Amino acid sequence: MFSLQRLSYGAGPEGAKQGPKRGPLRGASRNAIPQPSFRAALDPCLLTLLKSLVATLVGVGIGLAATWLAVERDVRFGLVATGPWTSWPRSAYRDADPYTRASLARTGEIPLSLGEGLSFVARQDETGAALDPRCDYVVGGAIPPARYWTLTVMSPKGALIPNASERYGLTSAEIVRASNGAFEIAVSSRARPGNWLPAPPDASYALALRLYDTPASSSATALAASQMPHLRRGACS
Amino acid sequence: MLVSALDRLLGALPYAFAVVIVAGLTHILSILAMPYVATRDAFTRIGELAQANRFTLLPQARPGAELAPFSDPAMLMGVCRFNIADGPVRLRADLSNVDGLLAFSFHDRFGATFYGMTDRSSLRGRIDVLLLTQAQLEAVEALDPEDELPQDLRLVTPGREGFVLVRSLIVEQGDADAARKRLATASCAQEAPKR
Repeated sequence: MFSLQRLSYGAGPEGAKQGPKRGPLRGASRNAIPQPSFRAALDPCLLTLLKSLVATLVGVGIGLAATWLAVERDVRFGLVATGPWTSWPRSAYRDADPYTRASLARTGEIPLSLGEGLSFVARQDETGAALDPRCDYVVGGAIPPARYWTLTVMSPKGALIPNASERYGLTSAEIVRASNGAFEIAVSSRARPGNWLPAPPDASYALALRLYDTPASSSATALAASQMPHLRRGACS
Repeated sequence: MLVSALDRLLGALPYAFAVVIVAGLTHILSILAMPYVATRDAFTRIGELAQANRFTLLPQARPGAELAPFSDPAMLMGVCRFNIADGPVRLRADLSNVDGLLAFSFHDRFGATFYGMTDRSSLRGRIDVLLLTQAQLEAVEALDPEDELPQDLRLVTPGREGFVLVRSLIVEQGDADAARKRLATASCAQEAPKR
């Protein structure tokens, strides 16, 4: 009997919270032992009810915990990764999966629709190593055709990070290019000559790349890594 | 001893099943319910900032004062929260002097996009969108002249409520005034019901 209860209680952290509650109830059934006829009639019935109740509560607890985890970790389907750049091109739409819709409802994020453009987030450099705030990064090379694009430094949860120069991103109209159209943007916590995007020196961050009015919208699932900018680690302090 | 242990295990099996099934059901139901119970979703946030059926310019994004996570700080935003229960809502924007970029996205009450475009898809240098229900669309079409194509884009909205987000690119830092000027050409108003 006890092993049964332990099995259901042990299934989740909620079981520990339920623990003290069952004390008096178990005591009550033990007190009922001197009356055999009464116990025989009531106890199995009550015990089954109690176990079912506990199983239900534990189940609800695990289910809610899984939901919380899924939303907190931003679990979504339909990820498109091109090199370090990740995107959920369908997440703005009604046909997005329920996990995406739950996450978006929770965070309030309003994803870009394909009619407006494409957005990408990079949390790792091109070798797959997580972006390190102690290091400089260089973004450059190719970029899919777009009327405008912007590159922004954001916290991993998508908030702006305060910085002294109040510059949070660069637009394609602002950057300095070489005569052949090539560009390089230095993402660094220290001021750089040329195209400099300030990064926080002490907090982890992500890079958001947004292409506005781009023909790539229709081929978001088929963008090759060579069409996207490289994201290379530079010097580390 | 072994038999009784096996007995106990078999007795626990229904409860273990119950835990798994209840956990699965709770998880699925709570994920599906999230858009209905979320208190900080896009529609609620916008409802706190903008009146219905009016175009509202939102302040430029600053750290700690953004409309939503992962929104581009280079985009100035204006919003039209619409409710077409009492008649269609018209969104207009004049693009004759636009050299930047204006992006329009149309969202239902749950934030899902049902239409998105930029100023590039404008007709004759302006945006003229009528948001309406299927019944309102039929009423409007009945009044259309036979030999003319409609001059506006008519969008049947999923649900009565939602919002239109208009974003204007700050092309270069310090150029927010130009972006604001482009955004200020937008308007949003309820049409008088025609019968």
